[in-house]
Amino acid sequence: MKENNISRRTFLRGMTTAAVASVLPAPIMAAAAHGQEESVLASAPKKGPQRGVSFYSYSAEFGFEKNLEDCFEDVYDMGAHGIEILANMHIENYPYPTDEWVNYWWSLCRKYDMTPVEYGHWIDGRVLQDRDLNVDETLEYLYRDMHLAHRLGFKIMRTKMTVKDSDLAPIDNWKEVITKALPLAERLDLVMCPEIHTPSNLDTPFVQEYVEFIKQTGTKNFGLNIDFSIFRESKYIHANPGEKPRSHTPEEIIPLLPYVKCCHAKLFHMSDDFHETEIPYERILQILKDNNWNGYLLSEYEGSDKYDQGYEVGQTLRKQHIMMKNILGE
Amino acid sequence: MEKQVIQSVGFRNISSEGKVVGFQLKIRLPYYRGVYLSQIKMGSLVVDGEEITKDHIIWRVNGTDYTWQEMMVSRNVHWSPLELATLIVDKPGGLKQGYHDLKYSYACTHSYMPPSLEHIIDPYKEEMVYLTEFGHTHNSRRLLIV
Repeated sequence: MKENNISRRTFLRGMTTAAVASVLPAPIMAAAAHGQEESVLASAPKKGPQRGVSFYSYSAEFGFEKNLEDCFEDVYDMGAHGIEILANMHIENYPYPTDEWVNYWWSLCRKYDMTPVEYGHWIDGRVLQDRDLNVDETLEYLYRDMHLAHRLGFKIMRTKMTVKDSDLAPIDNWKEVITKALPLAERLDLVMCPEIHTPSNLDTPFVQEYVEFIKQTGTKNFGLNIDFSIFRESKYIHANPGEKPRSHTPEEIIPLLPYVKCCHAKLFHMSDDFHETEIPYERILQILKDNNWNGYLLSEYEGSDKYDQGYEVGQTLRKQHIMMKNILGE
Repeated sequence: MEKQVIQSVGFRNISSEGKVVGFQLKIRLPYYRGVYLSQIKMGSLVVDGEEITKDHIIWRVNGTDYTWQEMMVSRNVHWSPLELATLIVDKPGGLKQGYHDLKYSYACTHSYMPPSLEHIIDPYKEEMVYLTEFGHTHNSRRLLIV
């Protein structure tokens, strides 16, 4: 079993190099030979919705059944080529990885033909328990993550802001923090994206504030990550007493699409014939295609059953990727 | 690394200058992301029903020792879920040979969740709900000292 594994990986490495060589023009391969990995990955822009996986999905297995390379290979098995990592989990010696580790990171990206899509990180305003961080202290963390995201080849950051209430509204100083971070984001070609996730939805006031901020500043370095939980059938959505549960129709995403830089392809229940029974994937993906949206759909399995003994999240993700392949006509 | 928070490997008495001065045990962070030490809300260690307060426990993380007061201000020292922390417990004479019932509780702040959650996840209170995603606050294990 072990020997098979090794020979398969050796085989894959050869296959990947061959596959990359066949699609990339010669100058880019030359850049790769000189270790300029970023240009290799950034120079193959793909059109339309692309499939990827957030390594968050492997939370219960990471460090036990799966190491970092296993996560890469699992995604490669699905024929998906984009990943999200959680900085605080998947980067060894975070926030100060060694050059050796960074080289290892790039070797995995090359070996499995993987694009670093989204860098998941947090602005932990309550990192101290007796007071909130001030703006300058907050920026220390944000700048550090921006440099690290750039060093690992990411263009999109899932910037999780400190939350102030039960609607998940961001802390009052968010605009000041983000405004101050925009010049560095522009220089490093990064887009900071808060994630819109239930119980928030597209009607939540701060989502409009984000959109207004983008319009007013004209920035290309701040956007949105839409988590498909907002499309979950309303019967599954929790509502406060006296409120009607509200989920969105897929069409409601259309006006926001210019600001949506990537999506969390949420999955709650995949049937054995490869349908997500609670989220209308066919319509959502068709809308993304019809509106010429370009970006990654990053699978994020949040079910707590992934922590159950024997649960195999990779198989659940494969069901979803069979579904997405079918819908996208791959 | 074992899936339990309290690890079976690393539980032993410790000596200094020929005298047993205490014991140690190792714990993991059962969370899907690492945390800075200042985020950790320290509870207490209970051994065979006897409470040992945080004043008598040193955390060793990434090879460096911290008192709980030092941890509270260490907002740039990151603890990864893949690294075990060692708790070094000041207890002259250590623990007797045989089984010991260990209970240890701690929690972390979650800035991305509603502030009300911070009051629910309290290492001094028994857990109301089992929050897999945020780590088990209360951990128990029965282990042998040789």
